[in-house]
Amino acid sequence: MNDRIDKQNSLVGRIIDGSVTIDSVTKFEDLLRVFPNDPGLHRVYADLLKKEKSLTAAAEAYGSAAKLFIASGMTLQAIVSKILEWQIFKPSQQEGQAFYTALHEGRHKDRAVQRFFAGMTYPEMIAFINKLMPRNFPAGVMVKKFGDEENTLYFVVSGALEQTDYHRLETGGRIQKKSTKDLVENDFLGEIYPFEEENVSQSDIKTITRVELAKISKSNLMNVCRKNPDLKLLVGNLYNRRSGFVEKEFNRTVRKTARHRLPTQVNLKIFQDEAGKVPLEVSGFTEDMSLGGARVVLGAKYETGYADSLTGKNVKIKIGLPTASNKLSVLGTIVWSKEVYLEGKTTAVVGIQFKEMTDTDRRLLEDYHYGSEGEQNLIWSLWGSLMEK
Amino acid sequence: MESAPIIWAVGGGKGGVGKSVVSTILAFWLARMGKRTVLIDVDLGGANLHTLLGIKSPPRTLNDFITRKFGSLEEICIDTEAKNLRLISGSSEVLSLANPHFSQKVKLINHFSRLDADYVVIDLGAGTSFNVLDFFLAAHEKIMVLTPEPTSIQNAYIFVRNAVYRRLSRLTSKNPSLQTLVKIAMDPKNELKVRTIKELLQFIQESGGKDLAEPIEKEIGEIRPAVITNMVRDDKEKNAGRIVQIVAEKYLMIQSTNLGSVFYDRQISSMVSDMVSLIKLDQSSHAFASIYEIVTKLLGN
Repeated sequence: MNDRIDKQNSLVGRIIDGSVTIDSVTKFEDLLRVFPNDPGLHRVYADLLKKEKSLTAAAEAYGSAAKLFIASGMTLQAIVSKILEWQIFKPSQQEGQAFYTALHEGRHKDRAVQRFFAGMTYPEMIAFINKLMPRNFPAGVMVKKFGDEENTLYFVVSGALEQTDYHRLETGGRIQKKSTKDLVENDFLGEIYPFEEENVSQSDIKTITRVELAKISKSNLMNVCRKNPDLKLLVGNLYNRRSGFVEKEFNRTVRKTARHRLPTQVNLKIFQDEAGKVPLEVSGFTEDMSLGGARVVLGAKYETGYADSLTGKNVKIKIGLPTASNKLSVLGTIVWSKEVYLEGKTTAVVGIQFKEMTDTDRRLLEDYHYGSEGEQNLIWSLWGSLMEK
Repeated sequence: MESAPIIWAVGGGKGGVGKSVVSTILAFWLARMGKRTVLIDVDLGGANLHTLLGIKSPPRTLNDFITRKFGSLEEICIDTEAKNLRLISGSSEVLSLANPHFSQKVKLINHFSRLDADYVVIDLGAGTSFNVLDFFLAAHEKIMVLTPEPTSIQNAYIFVRNAVYRRLSRLTSKNPSLQTLVKIAMDPKNELKVRTIKELLQFIQESGGKDLAEPIEKEIGEIRPAVITNMVRDDKEKNAGRIVQIVAEKYLMIQSTNLGSVFYDRQISSMVSDMVSLIKLDQSSHAFASIYEIVTKLLGN
């Protein structure tokens, strides 16, 4: 992956998250030729075609997006793409069955939402998605307020939201802020289960970025469950799994929203175990970086097939921060590595734990990272709403 | 006795956003309006302001003052082609002041205040080092320059955030427990869950420091940076400064002023690369006109 691809890669991310808009079908087609396997890009392209009233092409693009989402293990996103395709052209029984089979043969079913969909039979899935409605929200919008009636289940298809939980003080009933957490794709919200309980919201939920949600009302879900009793068990499992994984999920979402940070160019010198052997030199860019380490996508010089052997190797990493005139030089160790298929090329992603850096470099890195998730997210959402052309 | 000059400092975090160009044209307009002005290059280690005024090799630099070759700043001021405008050049060769102690910086700022001038415009270096922040915070007018790019906006915000925490850190230097609290709050993921200056002040108040929180809030409120969005090409891009303003208000309790924007001017880029003095810039240039408006606003403040 060369520098040009690296830059375009970050551009693709920004097209998908909505911070960059391309409104020319031709330009989009050029981009898809460079990145033919990015499901998010196909999905945005399909939305553009739909907006342009090219319905046949839009349906086809939604279909391609769904297929690629399945291949990436993104079940919810695949279902939403399929719903949008089927809103244009009603599917035959055979097409519906084929999608269901593809979904079940797909990978990555380790998340509560993915398991929820994967656990459905074909009639259950059709009954459920018939009532599931995709909805888009701009950044900075309140989706649900403290005290609102809980009557809708929402799934986060893309984007990020902030959930602020409150509790009432025993004296005087004043509301006090309890905690704040981020919700990202594949999370869900809405306290509608058990169905017998009438709940009111204990949180404010506000969009941080542009967000797509898929929603189903409590009454519709109850009707679907009445006709498909086993589905109620899956809904129960969905809620049970969430409560069991709150802490784990929270940590994950915090890291995930950090991806709003811009990729940073890096050069790696990977030292070989054998004495005297020349270190391997590769360039790349960070997907996520903190004071403790970085996740780096390797660039053009990476040759396939040896990702596993990288784990445990010592590295010298040169980081080009926009805030610093000279590159930072940090010593570290690769603690995990994985081969990935990215934008039509096979490359590797490595997790590097930082071991040694000078005080000056540490200060520069600290400067670069100062700013909470909230600050970073507000900058990006304002960028989306004030600067987007 | 003549009054001390008014000091304008121009910073912004990221390199290449046009701080030096903006500083030079600000100083030029002040001089043109009849204000005796000294432009100072405080980019310690990366000085190049003299080239924007068409001076290839400055005969005297700030370093000559630091190393006591000359006893006063007046002696190292260089006249420029523009009437009323003098320059104190930085030095990119000798780094004797690359990391001065805080007291040295205070001393230097005091010397700036003794210059025989109406206005002193300081061009700060890139980044958010304590050097840059201390000079920025000491100025009467704290000007931030950014461009309509995500990295520049992000860096301008980090710049103002670090300036606020630097001020907090200095304010609490005689109260170790409070200074420790400030340091903890600087970490965006701190365990106290203090994420904003407002929350920090609340925390100080709730911990029994009501008397401390009030003067701190007052001092922070006085930072008031002024934001210039440079190199804009269309109306939407003018909003870049607004982003920093909104985020700083929400998280840092900072009321900043949006000074407006400066249009991108190809002529400036070629003059900079050809080392032609910006004073020779065609005065019908949009950038020149935009900065004139900004100077008028600042003088009206």
